[in-house]
Amino acid sequence: MKIDPLPVAVGLVLGGLVHLTTVLAMPRLALEDAHARIERVGPANEVHLIPSPTPFEAVLPRLDPSFAHAVCRYDLRDEPLRVTIPLASDYMSVSFYTRHGMPFYALNDRAAAQRVIDLQLMTPDQRAALPRDEEITAADRLIVESPSEEGIVLVRAFVREKGLQDAIEARLREAKCGPVG
Amino acid sequence: MRAFFVIVAFIVGTLSGLGLTYLASARSNGFGAVTVGAWSVWPRSGTADADPYARAAFARAGELPLERADGLLFEAASTDNGTPLDGRCATRIEGRMPQARYWTLTVYDARGRLIDNPAERYAFNSTEIVWRQDGSFLVTAAPRARAGNWLPTGGRDRIVLVIRLYDAPIGIASRTGEPLEMPRVTQAECPA
Repeated sequence: MKIDPLPVAVGLVLGGLVHLTTVLAMPRLALEDAHARIERVGPANEVHLIPSPTPFEAVLPRLDPSFAHAVCRYDLRDEPLRVTIPLASDYMSVSFYTRHGMPFYALNDRAAAQRVIDLQLMTPDQRAALPRDEEITAADRLIVESPSEEGIVLVRAFVREKGLQDAIEARLREAKCGPVG
Repeated sequence: MRAFFVIVAFIVGTLSGLGLTYLASARSNGFGAVTVGAWSVWPRSGTADADPYARAAFARAGELPLERADGLLFEAASTDNGTPLDGRCATRIEGRMPQARYWTLTVYDARGRLIDNPAERYAFNSTEIVWRQDGSFLVTAAPRARAGNWLPTGGRDRIVLVIRLYDAPIGIASRTGEPLEMPRVTQAECPA
């Protein structure tokens, strides 16, 4: 059978377009993305501990098994949030991701002045709407601007030996992610 | 004839387009990889500048990548000579790590899962590892227990090693600067 090359060539060009479109759309279309996985852990605007990954179960893929993790799935539609994370003795970091998993900010325990990371999370509009005088006191307050109304805060706490896991997880349970007032 | 043209073009387009996307997002970390020996690192994948392929792959896997300001992830699926890593062999990870406050070295199976073992030993970190006197180290990933820093591989035929450097001041500007020193990866004692 002779195959006409023209429809195939047109098809391949179409295929290129389909490919580019689906790759670009994947972060919005993926059903089992990080946000969906975290949704199952608990409601938004609360901190939830994520159990350490085991060979059989992992809430999120490729989390470091030498770390304890906590997440807060946030929704800023109603109001800005205050995120406070008491530090453990070892390395800790806080990373911020948009609704579709793009990392936009991170800081670690070295960036915290006291034994707690205390910051406010808001959209650019909410920040612009802050009263002037609050903007001044905001100087000694850490403000993180989220490019999206929804997103994910992931706390990673290093556990240098397994015996410390419980103590560090207890510390993570004290973390808060809720309304500013 | 015209309907036939449209149908062929449509089928070829859909299949090739979706197939390419499927393959590209299954096992890709995007562009801009920097390789050092057996190790690959994608310095932009943990930033807002990650390319669309990296984002697609992370979204599909449901992974939240390590933020660049937090750490850097290096992956090795083969030895320094390019032999695929086999969990039935003894894989030696030997040498020094780049400067970092902490690092961890984890072994995964081919599907990115931890490997079950009675000791629940999935990784070593810089604080618990047994160092040599000269400040270098040796970790052996092997199916059976051995003295020293042993990572159990469960005898899987394919394994992947992952190093994560935390709070690492190193710059990974590709092609410039001094080369990074990463541990060597070699394999021995493979079953015949």
